[in-house]
Amino acid sequence: MSRAWFLGLLLFVVLVAGLATLRGSELALVIPVLLYWMYALWRAPDEVKLEVRRELGAERVPPGTPVEVKVTVFNAGGRLEELALDDGVPPGLEIIEGSNHHLIALGKRRTFEFKYQVRGARGGYAFGALHAEAGDTLGLLRTTADVTAPNRLLVLPTITRIKAVPIRPRRTRVYAGTIPARVGGAGVEFFGVRPYEVGDPARRINWRAVARHPEAVYSNEFQQERVADVAVVLDGRERANLRASGQSLFEHSVVAAGSLASALLQQGNRVGLLVYSQYLQWTFPGYGKIQRERILHALAMAAPGASQIFEGLQYLPTRLFPLESQIVLVSPLLEDDLSTLVQLRARGYQVLVICPDPVTFEVANLPRTGSRYSKADVLLAGRIVRLERAVSLGRLRRAAVQVIEWDVSQPFDQVMRSAFRRLSGARA
Amino acid sequence: MTVWALLMSIVLGTGSLAWGYVGVGLPQLARWIVVFGAVWLLAVWQRWRWFAYVGLAVSFLAAALGLWFLNFPSGWMFAGAIFALLAWDLTYFRYRQNFAASDAERRSVELRHLLRLSMLAILGFGLASLAMMLQMQFSFDWIAFMAIVVALGLSQIIRWFRNRA
Repeated sequence: MSRAWFLGLLLFVVLVAGLATLRGSELALVIPVLLYWMYALWRAPDEVKLEVRRELGAERVPPGTPVEVKVTVFNAGGRLEELALDDGVPPGLEIIEGSNHHLIALGKRRTFEFKYQVRGARGGYAFGALHAEAGDTLGLLRTTADVTAPNRLLVLPTITRIKAVPIRPRRTRVYAGTIPARVGGAGVEFFGVRPYEVGDPARRINWRAVARHPEAVYSNEFQQERVADVAVVLDGRERANLRASGQSLFEHSVVAAGSLASALLQQGNRVGLLVYSQYLQWTFPGYGKIQRERILHALAMAAPGASQIFEGLQYLPTRLFPLESQIVLVSPLLEDDLSTLVQLRARGYQVLVICPDPVTFEVANLPRTGSRYSKADVLLAGRIVRLERAVSLGRLRRAAVQVIEWDVSQPFDQVMRSAFRRLSGARA
Repeated sequence: MTVWALLMSIVLGTGSLAWGYVGVGLPQLARWIVVFGAVWLLAVWQRWRWFAYVGLAVSFLAAALGLWFLNFPSGWMFAGAIFALLAWDLTYFRYRQNFAASDAERRSVELRHLLRLSMLAILGFGLASLAMMLQMQFSFDWIAFMAIVVALGLSQIIRWFRNRA
């Protein structure tokens, strides 16, 4: 029951009692309540006509960066004696300075402005309506209004800089890039020899071959370097991404996916992103800085989720990826994912798996107290699971799937630098 | 200031009702009213907002019962009802103050609210005094009570102005 109804009921009861007892003094008891009621009725606002404008200091920020939110409220209606404003801050954002709610009196055609600062973790935050509750000074009769002022704040994942990702898909695109294309032509790396053609510069003539076969002249041919199609697949399945001590392995996967996509785009490749989570979120492949922004946007919104359909990797929609292109999978990997990866490799895709190590992550984030297992037991269990994983990942490597394990306590760029060096060395 | 005014309203409201009941020789009922006042104060401390409804209803019931009997000093009953109404209002105003972002904002709203509430209270007391005078019950007790109310009100106004300066 609202306050106004309660007071009305009280008024009625006292009035009836006064009339029933036929006592003037009892009837007079109605007067203070009636005065109160009449005053509230007199000063109550007819309607709340507010115009709200919300401005964000920045719309795309790295995690933890303070963002100033400025809200301007203009009263296009009559005077509001008591106006409670509550600017809805999306869940996940933390107010670090100022306040998002105010209690003021706002005159006719007057403006009120307030500011506050927020910060948040990676994600997309949609600011909705400003909730306004206006009433008389006594707060008896109140009118509410939700004034929409849509804004969006994107907290992008932190990207670490990687110089180059040594990928080598079977098929490349026609544009010049940095990936050896297994096709002879203009390039840097020696590829082979071919009969001399008119116009070949003299320094390209392979004199040794000519000396060995004096009947013809041969020119050196170099390996063409082109751009490739790359699909970065981020595994967002809840059962694959562990959570421990308030931290999620998925956040590390996001950093890895963002850094790799950024580096691959920097190399000139055509990169697409697939977030394999509760549903498929596909960012269509593209080139350059705009594509980088699109991918970061998708990564900012990515969240782990569970789905019966996408429980395993077998439903990975390979039709999205051009045949014999490069797939970069960022996933902690589960035992039943291995066969899918081997199948992908068998179908001609080059598969590179970046594997944030779930065992090290879990062991490092186990609660220090309250466990019924001793530290030695935990370490032993960790060793056993690590050995099992090593065997599984060994199977993948034997199937020519490149696997890089990443202990997430180590910086991603450092781990990748040494791992990529090893990969390049192995190829050479 | 709001809390102080709220507490004073409860004390003065239940106090005046109890005094009125003592005046007609019903000390048992007066004792129960005092106990009820104490519970209401406890409710303020515990932030049981719903209790303000109970407080207002019980105070009006006590005032109406008192006025029903003959020879009851109507002024005390009026005072009890008016202060209960103020306490009920201030309980909810205290809650609404949570929306204020700063002390300055809170003080500004508080001043406006208390001023309007005071005007209503003065009007109510004027009526109560008139009723006392008409019934020839304008006693020394009543004058002393009014003096206390005025002193408390003035001290709060002075304190508020000093804080503002």
